[in-house]
Amino acid sequence: MGSTSVAESAASAMSFEELVEKHQAMVFSLAYHFLHDRAAAEEVAQDVFLQLYFHLEEMDSPVHIVFWLRKVTANRSIDEARRRHRRAEVGIEAAGDPASPAAADEWVNLRLRRLIASLPERQRMIVILRYQEDLEPVEIAALLEVSVNTVKSQLQRALILLREKAGVEKRA
Amino acid sequence: MDPFEEHLKNALRREEPRAGFAGRVRARITVQEKRTRRASWSSLPRLRWALGILLCVGIVAGVSYRHDQVERARGEAAKQQVYVALRLAGAKMQLAELKVRHLSE
Repeated sequence: MGSTSVAESAASAMSFEELVEKHQAMVFSLAYHFLHDRAAAEEVAQDVFLQLYFHLEEMDSPVHIVFWLRKVTANRSIDEARRRHRRAEVGIEAAGDPASPAAADEWVNLRLRRLIASLPERQRMIVILRYQEDLEPVEIAALLEVSVNTVKSQLQRALILLREKAGVEKRA
Repeated sequence: MDPFEEHLKNALRREEPRAGFAGRVRARITVQEKRTRRASWSSLPRLRWALGILLCVGIVAGVSYRHDQVERARGEAAKQQVYVALRLAGAKMQLAELKVRHLSE
């Protein structure tokens, strides 16, 4: 965006819509992978962009906008989950064999997403920020306002839990 | 990254929301802006009412204060009249006392 401030360049409605289109997948996916509910995720995502619109003049740069969007989406998603007391239950489902390799991949993805959705909230968000957004622990710590050590230990615990659950299903 | 983590990355790849998402956000912004404008204008009649009430209270307070002032002034005048009367009575008493002394001598 060069030297022009984001607030100035985003002043027109068209610029803001472009901003939404640029970041909507990130915001929606963060909320969706956390809540495991498309409708709830869309609601959260809309709220986040609505909030962004009224705080646009506080944004310093495109990098700041991305940081702000991730942070607000993470917080809103956690709040929404607590409000709905949402924690997806994952049973050992008797699943049939997928018909094709592509379907098999999608089947694995679906199972993994359900397992992730069953994690405790903080671990869940850390896993999503790490593997969806490719963020390093220090970046996740800044976003969630926790220590780097907390992020590392929570991530390690989450991975152990996910591997165990995935391993149990494989044996079944 | 190990293979399990690669699977996690794949499972958590970004997805687009339903088509028309930006338009829905724009629609919500429009609604919110209208609400904000309505809220600021709707406070004006209330403001007028509040000013009217304040004015009435001010008038009543002013009239009451003026009435108090007039009453106080009357009270002061009455007090002064009493003082004068007492002094006159006192002077008359002294004169009567002198006459009585003179007569008894």
